[in-house]
Amino acid sequence: MSLRRLFRSPEAVAGFVILGLLGAMALTAPLLFPGDPLAIAGQPLLRPFQDWALPLGTDRLGRDVLAGLFHGARTSLAVGLAAAAASILVGSVVGTVAGFAGGLVDEVLMRITDAFQTVPGFLLSLALVSVVGPSLSVVVAAIALSAWTGPARIARAEVLSIRERDYVASARVIGMHPIEIAFREVLPNALPPVLALSSVIVAAAILTEAALSFLGLGDPNRVTWGGMIAEGRAVLRSAPFLSVIPGIALVFSVLGVYLAGEGVVESTAAREGQA
Amino acid sequence: MAGFKISRRRVLAGSAFLLASTALPSIGWTQAKKGGRLVVAADSEPRNLNPAIVASNGVFFVASKVVEPLAEASFDGEGGLEPRLATSWEGSEDGLTVTFKLREGVTWHDGKPFTSADVAFSALNVWKPLQNLGRVVFKNLEAVETPDEHTAVFKFSKPTPLQLIKNALPALTSVVPKHVYEGKDIAENPANNAPVGTGPFKFAEHKPGEYYRLERNDKYWGESEPQLDEIIYRVLPDRAAAAGALEAEEIQLAAFSAVPLADLERISKVPGIRVITEGYEALTYQLVVEINHRRKELADLKVRQAIAHAIDKDFVVKTIFLGYAKPATGIVPQNDKQFYTPDVATYGFDVAKANALLDEAGYPKKDDGKRFALKLLPAPYFNETKQFGDYLRQALAAVGIDAELVNNDSAAHQKAVYTDHAFDIAIAPPVFRGDPAISTTILVQSGIPDGVPFSNQGGYKNDALDALIAKAAETLDPAARIELYKEFQKKVAADLPLINVAEWGFITVARDTVKNVSNNPRWAVSNWADTYVET
Repeated sequence: MSLRRLFRSPEAVAGFVILGLLGAMALTAPLLFPGDPLAIAGQPLLRPFQDWALPLGTDRLGRDVLAGLFHGARTSLAVGLAAAAASILVGSVVGTVAGFAGGLVDEVLMRITDAFQTVPGFLLSLALVSVVGPSLSVVVAAIALSAWTGPARIARAEVLSIRERDYVASARVIGMHPIEIAFREVLPNALPPVLALSSVIVAAAILTEAALSFLGLGDPNRVTWGGMIAEGRAVLRSAPFLSVIPGIALVFSVLGVYLAGEGVVESTAAREGQA
Repeated sequence: MAGFKISRRRVLAGSAFLLASTALPSIGWTQAKKGGRLVVAADSEPRNLNPAIVASNGVFFVASKVVEPLAEASFDGEGGLEPRLATSWEGSEDGLTVTFKLREGVTWHDGKPFTSADVAFSALNVWKPLQNLGRVVFKNLEAVETPDEHTAVFKFSKPTPLQLIKNALPALTSVVPKHVYEGKDIAENPANNAPVGTGPFKFAEHKPGEYYRLERNDKYWGESEPQLDEIIYRVLPDRAAAAGALEAEEIQLAAFSAVPLADLERISKVPGIRVITEGYEALTYQLVVEINHRRKELADLKVRQAIAHAIDKDFVVKTIFLGYAKPATGIVPQNDKQFYTPDVATYGFDVAKANALLDEAGYPKKDDGKRFALKLLPAPYFNETKQFGDYLRQALAAVGIDAELVNNDSAAHQKAVYTDHAFDIAIAPPVFRGDPAISTTILVQSGIPDGVPFSNQGGYKNDALDALIAKAAETLDPAARIELYKEFQKKVAADLPLINVAEWGFITVARDTVKNVSNNPRWAVSNWADTYVET
């Protein structure tokens, strides 16, 4: 039922089609473009649609732009999903503990959350990556570091209302350990609104990763769209396609993630409205 | 916005005045026009603008117009030099003294006369103890005698070749005023940020993030010099911005390849703009692969030879430098007229040979096609060094060496490579400054303390090479000295303590109206006294 409802909205369909394509690109990248996508494949600065072996042309060193695009989709998706998963995990645990424990624990955890929220997220990521050094896991950690506060606040708000419900009270009565109650009874019920945030976080994570790579703080041993845009910037006037192509890919994937997420949220909201 | 009212009338009046001011000169004067304002692009704002302490091109670019050296490099001057604050120099037979006759009638920008005491003070208190390059060249300078106000006699404790001193004059001998620096902490003196000199331009102001302004020194010693009234350095850290600013006529000149190489072909076709490749002959940058000899694999000559064979220098020159460079043959660049020798071991691009050498060295390809892994740290200073890092990773992959790129900002890179030695191979752009003893021999010499940038921090030690460097440093006869440095080049090429890949000079892009551009081999960092803007 809900699937049908989901696919009734054209935006959601568009979102899922884009996501599907993106996922297909990421999955097929090692099959279609085996070997290192950073390898020099042909004559440098070949324009798109000139040579069918290299349909989107080559960059300043002669690397295949299409291979970069496919392998870049892997990096972007991997970073986006990993960062979202990490920040939702950390955020919901912090939020649940704060909301469920209340009192001093709540106070301390929420002030820490406030502290993180007052620092612009991108600056935080930038600082961490430039101190620790750029690699994929550090980039994921850096993005999660600035994105966990949203899930934490929402989880806490949900937990605050859920912990007053009757089934929580009865769980207490039958003698369940508070930690068990928090994570087995409360958290699962607090999760849906937190998960609704995930599309926003994934989209933001993809953009943050691209921005970090653009500033030269991505993992230099991997292709990333942000890195491709930065590479192309030096020749923006003479070979704009080098920046435009990954830029378009970036726009579409953020749009796809966002539309799909929006579709899911709306269909669940509609279901709840009916129920 | 109190106090600022923009009325249409004012704007009109202002623009009419501007129009008139550009129209007038073309009616009035038709002979060579003196004066004018030159606006140039600056890509960095050095923390210390004192060229006597920081002898680097970023500092010279601004400060060389204010603070002058004893002599400047020249295309056709005697011995490649043109006198500035010194009018003549003479060495003694034993190599222990060099006598400079100084220019008379020169005054500092604050009105005090320039004398031999200033030269003695600069040499003993600044160049020798504080200057990055002077520490090496003037290390045996014991005293500077000043028999009269216009003679300075340099006394060395060990024989020091006059040839070296002469080659060092343009970059290492910026003279600062004794009366401004004496008795205070030289490194912290406020004049380091607002230099006082004898040059054709006075330092007027610096607005951080916006511009530097230099103004004409009316009392300059040069006859009818300077020609310009004013030089403005507009700070444009974004390299793509310089090309746009030139086209929009917001700036008239961009030196040090501020316009990216990839944009040169396009901009050279814009009417009114010239691309100039001359004027950097004495500032040759070298693209070098630095090697950490503490790594067992890299300590093996065969591995180093294999890496040299794996690099396609022509590809690097053609693709990364777009032809604005030359493949290097050795540690001294080809455009050096005194010391260069082509007669050294060379390593052509040959992947099969590289693979064979690595097999011979005992590092066969494993099942995944890789032999061993390396950490590769490209210097972040130039686009080209970073791109060469990307290329080198691929070139090494082709012979089974798995290089992992590590990107750092400038400070972290210097610390990682030159202090912590946390690299296996690194990419560096050292500068050849007209004499191997100034900044080239330290690239391979052993016993250099940790933390000295652009020096041998790879743990390489070759006693024969060290002995050769020491001998050349004390050889007085120019011909014999040149022979020793030719031997030095051969030894370096044979043993590959580092791998020289390419050498390049920078590019100046200027509007046609700027005249007397690139008329000496260090033009961008010379004093620009004869440069003018045609209006």
